[in-house]
Amino acid sequence: MIQILIQGLLLSGLYALIAVGFTLIFSVGRILNLAYGAYLMLGGYMYFWISQSMGMPKLFGVVIAVAFGVALGILKYQLIVKTLRGDHVAVEISTLILAVVLQAGVVLVFGDSSKILLPIIPGVVYIAGVPVTYNILAATLASWVILGGLYLFIKNTHTGRAMQAVSMDTKGAAISGIVPDHINMITWAISGGLGALGGVFFASYTQLAPSMWVAPLIISVAVVIVGGIGSIIGTLIVAHVVGFMEVSVVSLLSPELRGVFTMLLIILVLVMRPQGLFGREEL
Amino acid sequence: MTAALEVTNLVKTFGGLTATNDLSFALEPGESVGLIGPNGAGKTTVFSQIMGELRQTSGSIKLFGTDIGGLSMPERIRRGVSRTYQVPRPFADLSVLENIRVGFMPNSVWGMVVGRANVEQERDLAHEVGFNAADLEKPASDLSMGDLRKLELARTLATGAKLLLLDEVFAGLTVGEITQISALIQKLRSQGITMLMVSHDLPALDPLVDRVIAIERGSMIAKGSFAEVIANEEVRASYLGVSA
Amino acid sequence: MGLRWYHFAAWGAFILGLMALPELVSKGALRTIIFANYLAIFAISWDLLSGRTGYISFGHPFLIGIGAYTSAILTKRFGVDVEMAIPIAVVVTMLGGLVVLLPALRIKGSYFALVTLAFMELMYQLVQVIRPDLTGGTRGMSGIQTLTRGAVNGFYLSSVLMVIVAIAAWLLMRTRLGTALTAVGLNESAVEGSGLSTTKLKMVAFLASAFVAGLGGAFYVHYLGSIAPRALFDINFVFTIIVAVLIGGASTIIGPIIGAFFLTFLLEYLRPWLPGAERYFIYGGIALLLYMYQPKGIYYMLQSGWARLKGSTS
Repeated sequence: MIQILIQGLLLSGLYALIAVGFTLIFSVGRILNLAYGAYLMLGGYMYFWISQSMGMPKLFGVVIAVAFGVALGILKYQLIVKTLRGDHVAVEISTLILAVVLQAGVVLVFGDSSKILLPIIPGVVYIAGVPVTYNILAATLASWVILGGLYLFIKNTHTGRAMQAVSMDTKGAAISGIVPDHINMITWAISGGLGALGGVFFASYTQLAPSMWVAPLIISVAVVIVGGIGSIIGTLIVAHVVGFMEVSVVSLLSPELRGVFTMLLIILVLVMRPQGLFGREEL
Repeated sequence: MTAALEVTNLVKTFGGLTATNDLSFALEPGESVGLIGPNGAGKTTVFSQIMGELRQTSGSIKLFGTDIGGLSMPERIRRGVSRTYQVPRPFADLSVLENIRVGFMPNSVWGMVVGRANVEQERDLAHEVGFNAADLEKPASDLSMGDLRKLELARTLATGAKLLLLDEVFAGLTVGEITQISALIQKLRSQGITMLMVSHDLPALDPLVDRVIAIERGSMIAKGSFAEVIANEEVRASYLGVSA
Repeated sequence: MGLRWYHFAAWGAFILGLMALPELVSKGALRTIIFANYLAIFAISWDLLSGRTGYISFGHPFLIGIGAYTSAILTKRFGVDVEMAIPIAVVVTMLGGLVVLLPALRIKGSYFALVTLAFMELMYQLVQVIRPDLTGGTRGMSGIQTLTRGAVNGFYLSSVLMVIVAIAAWLLMRTRLGTALTAVGLNESAVEGSGLSTTKLKMVAFLASAFVAGLGGAFYVHYLGSIAPRALFDINFVFTIIVAVLIGGASTIIGPIIGAFFLTFLLEYLRPWLPGAERYFIYGGIALLLYMYQPKGIYYMLQSGWARLKGSTS
């Protein structure tokens, strides 16, 4: 029981980090970035390359990975989203193609096999009798800190409030003097950074593999649908629901059923409350 | 005679904001009534509730005697009400004729697949609202604002609407286009179609309506003939922002 | 429907050309064409739903998989005759897909895309976990009854199937239903504003798509003789289908056929030079650029060429 609680908490923190990066884009720009998982993949590989292949200090690797994610996010926004001018079908398809291309690119450069990331912080600690690697612990704590910071940023800074405004009503925000283009760019940059960081953590939790971008994308998707858009707190809560549910299912039932209950939850929410548990009224 | 439209104690709140405040009015069949008020008075909100795009918070809406408050928008349309929008929403990539075709379509998939489009009917309607033969194949994205409004009118008529809600149908039009659209509306009036019209262009509205209702911040503040309502002190104040 | 002489002529020529192929090309080329035929069927299935309405399905393998697994399980595990198994598989695909995706169809397009993606992953997990004795689990199934023997017969069967599906889908989209679905993709609320129930329209498009997907999946599994979940429920498969439609020209039914053939032959052609992942990288990159700058595809280019020809001779 305790084990489920602790593992659930740890996993949920990570899921929260990953999901928030995805929801931000969807909330603020109303656009689906299906290549979001690619940030995770590329962030993980970038870290791997810098820290393990090139032997640089681990923290440096993390920073580079995040910077790479930010740059990628901005690039994607400028090259793809702006060119397509908000045609949401086109963006969905383009980002999917991009994701596949990026995956193929990674296979070309790094090969097809999965790699094990050496833990960022080696060692294990025992919490209430449950073995927890420092790695995961650090990842979860870092996630919490960052999400807390992000929440404060959104609520208290001018830019953050501008993001909220754009997410509610782009035209209204523009009339109020906000430049939606800048806000979107910032959002994509943050999303890229979060994704890359999430990728580093996620890769150390599971493994580094070119196809690793699909699973986090699905998790983010689940959180968006179940949680709805427009509320970071909502995303956090749902990430925990999903995280705990997965851990419980894996421990109590069977590891292979991991995703099934998440899917059932998705259907349930779609039927009963389509805007999500914490979503705003309109879709 | 059953009223074409009967709105009783209509209330719409959005959180703390009351957009429609206990509004009641009725339209007899064949009447043409103007709905005026300053920006933000809640005119479009009333339209949205009648159409079913917004659910009213309370109150009843009856169309030709039937309570439509619980029906979906397509269901209401099939009972004879339709509206145009401040910003026209055509099917941009479809031609004028195809746009009208969508208006004529039966709400039955079998009907759509098996039945054929009645091109004669579509053409006649297009001509009636003022399109030339040359315009019919043009994609809607190529049309001027005046033509877009004509197209919207055509599409609403295609659905067989007996009650038309016209939302700022003169906005963005040239003087010539206003004359065209006015003539069209007079023609529809003579055919017995009931109309509720929102417009800021009061001179254009005057000849087209039998009477006028004025609202401000969701409540009715005056009703009567056009001349009476325009002269009303409260109405003038609401437009000019001068406190009484 | 406005069928003209040249419609009949074009279809006729296409059919005749197809039937003549076994005389003209090698067995190897025939096998490639068989794959192209099935890809065309899957592409048409996708186009029926996603080509016009803007409800992009990123999980079409989900539907194809239901059809394939149902028919495979019925024939192999329960000894059902293939003539019965395939129709049952089609019905199961339509029902199963509807049960799962109807809630998503009722909401806006982007949510639908997400749900389809999620459900493809789900299907992958499900077949490994639920009754692996029936589904063959992670390894899939082999030794499934094949309907034809040899490249030539396989070619004829797949071609006949493809042509029937293509003509039926093409005719269907030329009715007012096709116009209505295009309208949904252009402005869904305006369609509601014309008195039409968009949920009904979307459902019909979905059922048509599921029908073809189930049919294609069932026949395909009886051609291959085996099923491998990792290859079936793969994002690359989704990608291949979608790119085939886009290159060819979405919403046209003919476009997906062109695209499927183009893509299959392109991949085959590139194979000796670039085995494996590089192909995805290159043609994915090309597809992306093409899509962003000319999203209408080959069919559109052919159409405007034809229109210019007609214009210059009149």
